Amino acid sequence: MEIKKNREGAKLTLALVGRLDTLTAPQMEEVVKSDLDGVTELSIDLKELTYVSSAGLRVLLMAQKAMNSKKGTMEICNVCEDIKEVFSITGFADIFTIK
Amino acid sequence: MSLITTDVKDNILYIQLHGRIDSANAAPVEEEILEAVSGCTCTAVIVDADDLAYISSAGLRVILRLRKTRPELKIINASSAIYEIFEMTGFTEMIPVEKGYRKLSIEGCEVIGQGANGKVYRLDKDTIVKVYYKADALPEIHRERELARRAFILGIPTAIPYDVAKVGDSYGSVFELLNAKSFSKLIAEEPENLDKYVELYVDLLKKIHSTEVKPDDMPDQRAVVIDWVNFLKDYLDPGKWEKLHNMVEAVPVNHHMIHGDYHTKNVMMQNDEVLLIDMDTLSQGDPIFEFASIYNAFVGFYDFDHDAALDFQGFDYDTTISIWKKMLPLYFGTTDPVALKTVEDKSAILGYSRLMRRLIRRNGFDTEEGRKLIAHYKNQIETRLDSVDKLQF
Repeated sequence: MEIKKNREGAKLTLALVGRLDTLTAPQMEEVVKSDLDGVTELSIDLKELTYVSSAGLRVLLMAQKAMNSKKGTMEICNVCEDIKEVFSITGFADIFTIK
Repeated sequence: MSLITTDVKDNILYIQLHGRIDSANAAPVEEEILEAVSGCTCTAVIVDADDLAYISSAGLRVILRLRKTRPELKIINASSAIYEIFEMTGFTEMIPVEKGYRKLSIEGCEVIGQGANGKVYRLDKDTIVKVYYKADALPEIHRERELARRAFILGIPTAIPYDVAKVGDSYGSVFELLNAKSFSKLIAEEPENLDKYVELYVDLLKKIHSTEVKPDDMPDQRAVVIDWVNFLKDYLDPGKWEKLHNMVEAVPVNHHMIHGDYHTKNVMMQNDEVLLIDMDTLSQGDPIFEFASIYNAFVGFYDFDHDAALDFQGFDYDTTISIWKKMLPLYFGTTDPVALKTVEDKSAILGYSRLMRRLIRRNGFDTEEGRKLIAHYKNQIETRLDSVDKLQF
């Protein structure tokens, strides 16, 4: 998986490309742990993400918690139907702001 | 041949539609439906779309006209394609339409596991399906999935419960495939890493116990344990029983998660991630209730049959005892032998209470072997009660 980062002031956009699963989730976890300093607005673009596993959902949840704890916002955009379905059956659709 | 079939259950008329309904057959279908409805004193009419492959606007108009005379009309078992037709045409806003279960074939799928209530097949590289033996397993399936889902959104690492599917005449629960090994396997294969695995095992347990749940989201284990103890009233010394009973009643209500079956086969490792499976026993309550079942899984079950440890856990009796002994200081953050002995006594009292009740209910008094075990459990409970004055830690 590739993570394209785009930082504009306090806004960070992460575009994920490929599969967010048990093998690639640690990559995303690293970004959540080290790149959120000073970020108040996090946008995660899933346009080119084809699959998300439980490990992937957990790291997205971790990002959401990190943003909540600093009173920032997080939105997930360009979600394909399959992944939307996963968000909805797992209940994550109620936790995330999905655009 | 009839275009529709009908069925009456609990005073509800079910109308099953078959194949395609379009302008070519809408009129005779409507005639048959009207005939079925007019001759029926049922309180409700339900259209079953399980076998419906396609419905055109002419077919939809038949349903609209039927709804005029039966405003309570409902459609069930719509496939995704049929549901889409109802949705696109705005029908779902006028008539309740319930989706049916996706149909799945497991032909040629590899069997990767087998349990007491079902068989697990690999569907593709990301998903498995657990097919239940019992045809009426739906309530059980939904109960377990709902618990797993609640745990999942609270951040407990477990497999994603996808959907429920119809597999032949049975139901299957579709889960994410984990490329994982159980802690039982790992410990059996790498005894030199026992300490590391026990540490990870305790970390996950602490995470579970620090997860707060809403009072209505999971069953209350305290009520279950009070039941065990009440059952033992006629079998324990009256004074001892009263002490036990008062102590269980005094355990404070606690809205934190308990797994309920936390042994090393239910904890898995995938790459560096530790995952929890088997969520049907999830509940909430004081950690003492968890330790009661952990005590049984590592110690209580094997008092007279050390070989059973190998059958159940996948490693020998000495290893299960050593895991239990290593867990306690890690979880409770103390190496004080007196404190640890108290923890063990409390866990054992409730663990043996459960085993004693279970054996008596399974006619344990009928056999020599059973009577010996019941006496052993009773003795363990009564002796240990002397050194304990509360059950919570």
